[in-house]
Amino acid sequence: MDKNNTRRLRLFGIVELWPFVRKYRTIFIRMVVIGVVVSVFDSIYPLFNRYAINHFVGEKTLDTLPYFIALMIACFVSQGILNYINVCDCSKIEMFMDRDLRNSAFNHLQTVSLSYFNQNNVGYIHARVMSDSGKIGEMMAWHVMNVVWFGSYIVFAVVVMFMVNVKLALIIFAMLPVAMVIMALFQKKLTFLNRQVREQNSKITAHINEGITGVKSIKTLAIEDKMDREFYGETKTMRKLSVRTAHVSAMFTATITLISSLALAAVIWAGGNMTTAQVLEVGTFSVFMSYALNMLDPIQNIVNSIANMIGIRVNIERYLNLMDTTGEVRDREDVIAKYGDAFDEKRENWEKLIGEVDFENVSFHYPDGDEMVLENFTLHVPAGTNVAIVGETGAGKSTLINLVCRFFEPTSGRVLIDGRDSRDRSLSWLHANLGYVLQTPHLFSGTIRDNLKYGNPDATDEQIMEALKTVAAEHLLDKLDEGLDTEIGEGGDFLSTGEKQLLSIARALLADPRILILDEATSSIDTQTEKAIQDAIRTVIQNRTSFVIAHRLSTIVNADIILLVHEGKIVERGTHAQLMKAGGEYYKLFTRQYEDLIVNDNQQN
Amino acid sequence: MKNKINPNKGKRFPNRFSMIRFFMKGSVRYFVLSVVFVCLLVLFELVNPKIIGYTVDFVTRNFDSIPALIMGMVDRLGGVDYCLANLWIFSLIVIAIALLGAICRYTFRMFNSLMAEHLVEHMRDSLYEQVIHLPFTWHDNNRTGDIIQRATSDVDMIKNFISDQMTNLFRMVILITLAIAFMANIHGKLVWVSVTLIPVVVGASLIFHAKIGSAFEKVDTEEGKLSAIAQENISGLRVVRAFGRERYERDRFETKNEHYTGLWIKMMRILGTFWTMNDIIGGAQMTAVLSVGAYFAVKGDMSAGDYVAFLAYNATIIWPVRQLGRTISELSKAGVSIDRLMYIMNSEREKDAPGAGAFPEHCDIDFKNVTFAYTDKNVLNNLSLHIGEGQTVGILGGTGTGKSTLLALLDGLYDVSENGGSITIGGVDIKNIRKSELRKNVGLVLQEPYLFSRSLEDNIKIAVDADHEAVEKAVETASLKETISRFNEGYETYVGEKGVTLSGGQKQRTAIARTLIRKTPIMIFDDSLSAVDAQTDARIRAGLMSIGRETTVILISHRITTIMNADRIFVIEDGHICEEGSHDELMKLGGRYRHIFNLQSAMGEEAQDGQE
Repeated sequence: MDKNNTRRLRLFGIVELWPFVRKYRTIFIRMVVIGVVVSVFDSIYPLFNRYAINHFVGEKTLDTLPYFIALMIACFVSQGILNYINVCDCSKIEMFMDRDLRNSAFNHLQTVSLSYFNQNNVGYIHARVMSDSGKIGEMMAWHVMNVVWFGSYIVFAVVVMFMVNVKLALIIFAMLPVAMVIMALFQKKLTFLNRQVREQNSKITAHINEGITGVKSIKTLAIEDKMDREFYGETKTMRKLSVRTAHVSAMFTATITLISSLALAAVIWAGGNMTTAQVLEVGTFSVFMSYALNMLDPIQNIVNSIANMIGIRVNIERYLNLMDTTGEVRDREDVIAKYGDAFDEKRENWEKLIGEVDFENVSFHYPDGDEMVLENFTLHVPAGTNVAIVGETGAGKSTLINLVCRFFEPTSGRVLIDGRDSRDRSLSWLHANLGYVLQTPHLFSGTIRDNLKYGNPDATDEQIMEALKTVAAEHLLDKLDEGLDTEIGEGGDFLSTGEKQLLSIARALLADPRILILDEATSSIDTQTEKAIQDAIRTVIQNRTSFVIAHRLSTIVNADIILLVHEGKIVERGTHAQLMKAGGEYYKLFTRQYEDLIVNDNQQN
Repeated sequence: MKNKINPNKGKRFPNRFSMIRFFMKGSVRYFVLSVVFVCLLVLFELVNPKIIGYTVDFVTRNFDSIPALIMGMVDRLGGVDYCLANLWIFSLIVIAIALLGAICRYTFRMFNSLMAEHLVEHMRDSLYEQVIHLPFTWHDNNRTGDIIQRATSDVDMIKNFISDQMTNLFRMVILITLAIAFMANIHGKLVWVSVTLIPVVVGASLIFHAKIGSAFEKVDTEEGKLSAIAQENISGLRVVRAFGRERYERDRFETKNEHYTGLWIKMMRILGTFWTMNDIIGGAQMTAVLSVGAYFAVKGDMSAGDYVAFLAYNATIIWPVRQLGRTISELSKAGVSIDRLMYIMNSEREKDAPGAGAFPEHCDIDFKNVTFAYTDKNVLNNLSLHIGEGQTVGILGGTGTGKSTLLALLDGLYDVSENGGSITIGGVDIKNIRKSELRKNVGLVLQEPYLFSRSLEDNIKIAVDADHEAVEKAVETASLKETISRFNEGYETYVGEKGVTLSGGQKQRTAIARTLIRKTPIMIFDDSLSAVDAQTDARIRAGLMSIGRETTVILISHRITTIMNADRIFVIEDGHICEEGSHDELMKLGGRYRHIFNLQSAMGEEAQDGQE
């Protein structure tokens, strides 16, 4: 999770977000100006009524009727057109901001260092990109617009009232602050309650999710009734919370309408007396009565919008925090100048990567931990060497890989690629020469072809088939209707884990990397597929420098260098023969893991 | 349209109405009360313009249009002059009416909310109960995401429709009708000018909402796609980085984002046009009412007060009329959601055969000539096997050979068809055992265990009432004790959604502990040790051996070491048993088992060779 650094946002964060707004300032200003104009129209409509009552009805004449009609038509038509422009402007601001924020966040993510992804889960990061940006866009357009629109409506209505009759205007004006205070109080309480309702709602959704995705377990454990009861409890809480919220909000609206009626009563009393005394025209009197009744709507809207904007502050904070996380791992300025960055590679300056890797006095601890995982570690890996990393689950085997890939950088010491500090050349250069096969293979939606070409966009179909053949996966295509063009579907769901693993090995092979990183799968794969994968691995690591997190004997035993990781530290290194002779941790692990088989085999013979 | 056969005929809910009625059980009274109070509320709301009108007429001393009843009241109060001198009386009346109105408003909203919340509670509860009581085959045939969507968004859709739109619909219809009645009462001709608005606006709304609806659907799908790209990118970040494909990802995202933005703005244009059109229609109607009304007033057909009151009524109907079109289009959307829920509610629940009884005393298991197919290809082919009470047996077979199907049948997740052979426990056909009884006595650890989002301890004792000691014991047998001791919060460690905070092996071991604690006479482990290392595997197996001779244990694996110490081993291939016997017997036999053994130890032997 993010560190809880609440920042101070100025003007609801508009100041901080200004770089994003600036691009659209013309539209933004037009939006505000037109909004003001439109609300002026809204506030003068009652004057038409007043004129009609005073002039036509009061003086029993229709002399100016044609002008009156013409003026009114002109007013509502131009207001309609302005409204249309305004809506378009608003949605443009909303969506352009949304788009830009989202693009920036997405692009930023491509450069943030990996520790950010280790500390925050996928859902959290995804929400920063997808929903925060939307919320901010919404605020900058519609909520700002609401405040402008209704704000200026109130201002103009008050001005008109004061111009028409100061005494009655004062009566209505006096109720505004009272109403605002009451609204703010209710709003605060409602925001609190609504949050509770939302939280309860997500609890219910989580329960439903669990009930459906876990239905097999629920049935086999025979706990249907228990789950039912728990769910009933949650929905009951939800009902109670919602009704409590409804109680407050019903009180709120009832109070608001009561206040407007009080204003109306006051206007009737004072205005009526003035009218009887002939100091006030009937038309004006009636206009004031309608102002009294309608004044509170816009105020309520403004309070609402402000409450929303306060709520969106959290989104802005989170978004800005994401944008502020610079990776610990990034290229130096001079490196970028020479080699380019991820989005603008200067391939013409790239040296060929041979594949020699050196760890030189490397010490390392993860940014979110204090314990040193590596201390003064030195290792020379000549080009083409196969390094196997072994150890129990959770022992920290991926640390070395993270350093080779430069997903993290050493706390002290250096990692050298072909004899030069890997920080002296760009991340893109390194990654372009790197192949990576994950334990849980990650495929993208799209066709099989798209996926295989991921590391090498220029690969031809022949090359693809060649790669599939090399990893003995061409038979996979037989069972697919559309061959390479078959859509893999979300996460490659209809392929088995073993098949996905084979595809991701083929993908790495197509990229033809100089350095290959491989994390062998532990998960259950049947014997045949497992054999295929092992053969595939043996093929791809030939003639390359490779680092393999190994679980399979054949991989381990044939490795040039074996590193044994125990409790997060590299405790032994050497070839299989050397390590067996040493009789240390490796010997123990090795014999323990395979003694069953070997013992029984001996009995048979 | 031709005569469509109602697909729900003869089902629990033959039509939408019957289901809504079922859901509304317990909330009908709130519904009736909220409709009553909304009517009262509308009446009070509509009194205000009248008061304004009378006040205007009164202060301009134009008493003709004021009903005799009110004039009578004025007389009783002390005559016109007295009242004019004491206008606060009118103010008091306004306040009194406002108070009554406020009370009605509050009461209406409360009843409305009680109605909606009770309804939603009942709806959610019934759905949830229904979903988890549906047979497993049903879940197999329906996509998880789709069911979840029905149980969440469709429920919300119906909820919002009922709590916001439905009572609003009543309110609007009553408001419009009453306002028109009041207006007609004031001036029978002018009211026609006013009501022409209704068909135009409602018609336009219907057309536009259909258009906006389809535009919105497009935007929605597009947003889904965009969101999926972001999701994939974040979860596959290491791959993106390692292959250096940042630029490709950026371009892909930006293109989609641009497209999505464009679609959204296009939709807003449609919406903007609609709003503008509404504004103009409203403006035109208002102009017409103002001018025609003025004409009548000048002609002397209408008093100033009536004119004012008429304008006020006219203003009150414009907004509800606009709203009406929206509600009607929402109605059709809600109809779709109701149908989607009806699909779930009308599916048939898992049920026991008539006369099904308790779990038998003995539990030797017999499969007799069991043949089973999910669709048309047989997964199990004339499979027969016998497992004696208290035996530990191993089942070996590759993926897709039918191992897991066998277990699912034994646990009653699927049913053997009429002529598909039989499965008996203690001599009783499992069809004649109540499903709940069967599952309470068969402990099945699934290949991909599912943990619930609660603490580790609560997960382990989810199916039993057990004390902490029992939990500790199960945890020890499952070889999980050491792991738990390393967690900061120990047994209280919160296992996140689907157990994401645990590693694969830890999840499997938790699931094993969860089954061990149930002390069922039959325990089945479906490849449940695949993600733990060999050492832990051995430790757990040793633990299982110690749980007692009265428990029948079935171990499924494709790792020979996991099963080779079992009393009896079955090798399954193509849906039937091809070899059975103890490890030694099978090794002697030199068949399939021996082959797999050699294959697996070859990988080990290579290790031996490499040593030299």
